[in-house]
Amino acid sequence: MTEWLHPGLVFILGAFLIPVLKGRWKKAYLLLLPLVALLDLSLMSEGTFWSFPLSDYVLTFGSVDKLSLVFAYVFVIASFCMTLYALHVKEDGQHVAAFLYVGSALGVVFAGDLFSLYLFWEIMAWASLFLIWYRKTKASSEAGFRYILVHLFGGVCLLAGIILHVQNTGTADFRVFDWGLGSGYLASYFILAGFLINAAVPPLHAWLADAYPEATVTGAVFLTAFTTKTAVYVLIRGFPHVELLIWLGAVMAVYGVVYAVLENDARRVLAYALISQGGYMVAGVGIGTELALNGSTAHALCCVLYTALLFMGAGVVLETTGRSKFTELSDLGGLYKFMPLTFWLYMIGAFSISGFPLFSGFVSKTMIVESAAASHLPLVWLMLEGAAIGTFVVAGLKVPYLTWFAETKTKKEQAEEAAEVVKEKEAPKNMLAAMGVTAFLCVFIGVYPQALYGLLPHAVEYVPYAAGHVVGMSQLLLFTFVGFWLLRRMLHGTPTISLDTDWFYRKAGKRFLWFCEKPLLDFADALDRVLKDLTNSFVWFSKNPTAATRIMLLSLAVVVERSFNPTANTQTQTQTQTQTRTRTRYEQDLEELRRLYGEPAHRVAIGTGVLLVLLFFSFYLLIYLTHGVLWV
Amino acid sequence: MKMETKKRQKQLFGILYACLAASVVAELLVPLLSPPLSHEQAHAAFVWQEIPGFSAIYGFVGCILIIVVSKALGHRWLQKEVNYYD
Repeated sequence: MTEWLHPGLVFILGAFLIPVLKGRWKKAYLLLLPLVALLDLSLMSEGTFWSFPLSDYVLTFGSVDKLSLVFAYVFVIASFCMTLYALHVKEDGQHVAAFLYVGSALGVVFAGDLFSLYLFWEIMAWASLFLIWYRKTKASSEAGFRYILVHLFGGVCLLAGIILHVQNTGTADFRVFDWGLGSGYLASYFILAGFLINAAVPPLHAWLADAYPEATVTGAVFLTAFTTKTAVYVLIRGFPHVELLIWLGAVMAVYGVVYAVLENDARRVLAYALISQGGYMVAGVGIGTELALNGSTAHALCCVLYTALLFMGAGVVLETTGRSKFTELSDLGGLYKFMPLTFWLYMIGAFSISGFPLFSGFVSKTMIVESAAASHLPLVWLMLEGAAIGTFVVAGLKVPYLTWFAETKTKKEQAEEAAEVVKEKEAPKNMLAAMGVTAFLCVFIGVYPQALYGLLPHAVEYVPYAAGHVVGMSQLLLFTFVGFWLLRRMLHGTPTISLDTDWFYRKAGKRFLWFCEKPLLDFADALDRVLKDLTNSFVWFSKNPTAATRIMLLSLAVVVERSFNPTANTQTQTQTQTQTRTRTRYEQDLEELRRLYGEPAHRVAIGTGVLLVLLFFSFYLLIYLTHGVLWV
Repeated sequence: MKMETKKRQKQLFGILYACLAASVVAELLVPLLSPPLSHEQAHAAFVWQEIPGFSAIYGFVGCILIIVVSKALGHRWLQKEVNYYD
């Protein structure tokens, strides 16, 4: 127990002390927790720790190997940068939610069995929800509801898969899952669906672009790192070399870029760029070679840092101006003059995500692209390279151009609006410091990739700075800029939203609700009426079964009489007269009976009932005394 | 002020053109600069990698295609007014 301390526990237990502390102490404490976790990680050795037997299974909270360690390292380092970024936030709830979120993500990373994995998976979903809800707008509240519903669905898929898997194999250990076609692999299909929802793989991705841009300024920065990257981690561990993932990943990479071109909100563009980046990692997991898996791991780690940096930049703009839509930002006439430092720090993130040489994306993205070439996947290679172009266009050019430089009004109007809107020049110091640290890490990894490569699960032979790679990437990106410059006017924001697969639960969901409320409810009402009538008639019948039977028979006789002898004009006078007489007799009887039926029946006094019960008990007693028991 | 901005823009474009040219020229120098590290790296994985300046062409054409196709998809189908879901 003492030989190993779960770094996730540092965050989860540590979170509960946050509301107790005040002022500087709280700030120091917030920054101290990630450092304690980092120290804990640096003292850690590989092995299995904290295993607890639970009925037939073993819960393992500390399964430490190279893969889990490298993810844990980057999570903890990123959480330090993000906490620094969020240090000025007064609401304790936001800090607590963020720390529970980071802690549970670490829980997933070190989970050695599927049950503990599921436990942390769910905590992660709930903790992250509050980072969205703390924005306290109508949009964020609604997006949060959709977010948690999708994740609950994902959680149920995962749980169903886990139960099936445990039933099939008899073990809950988290290892590579069997994969193939057929009903025998149902457990794997469910588990994969759960993982793919968190990895935001289309068509299961819409929750990300829907919810992240609605989160709080600092919450969004936390959100970018953990949910999708833990999903990549479990994919690497559970589903390497699954061909389906290559294609899902390649489509995902391009898909995100297309939507990012269309979007009008800076943070939504970045959310789609984040989805696109996930595509590389998912494709890498599918390719499944050592180079590809190393690439996916490395890219996940770099992505944590540079997407955080990008969201930090967009967050600073939102914090200081209250705006994140390009159509509104361009009215300010270029924010560059107010916040040049934020712009340049953002650009380091932008160069990193685009994969410029000397920035972090270059040393990881090219690994995956190279592995596609080594596995002879020409179409995948073209799609991934195409997504690299698109990423540079959207995150590297569109967002900074429209946020910091675009102008739509006259100089005077812009100046007036800017004076009104821009509250502060540059961001709070802690935000800039956080961006500075993150930017430094992005450049550090880009310049000295060995620091990252040394941590990867497989030995790295890949040389990122081969002349061919550097020149190829430089050409690709430089000429992309030429294309962008020619078409830059096409990229200006439009006050629109883009339909995505969330249409199915936002629009079609509404129609489904209408179907439930109107036709389905009408049907239920009709059914209800029929049943009530049936019950009433039973009640009526049981009042006096003999008389009721007679009434029914008489009614039947009347009906039969009428149908066999219709009063037609062709009939003779006498016939009609006799028939009228008989009919009248039946009908008269019927009327009489019905009249009598309504009256209260003859009732016995209550004492009679009691007497009957007593008689019954005496009879029972007699039998009991003579036979001993009534039933054997 | 305006003259200054213009001048600066001109300078920046000068740098850009220089970079574009340098990246294309550098490709010709690659075989001289780096001896192939392994058998795999000596041969291009795909036919198109043999085309000189392929990355430059792909970057330019890819960028145009991504913007034009995305925008076309958006105008024709995907983009709706902001209160579409309300």
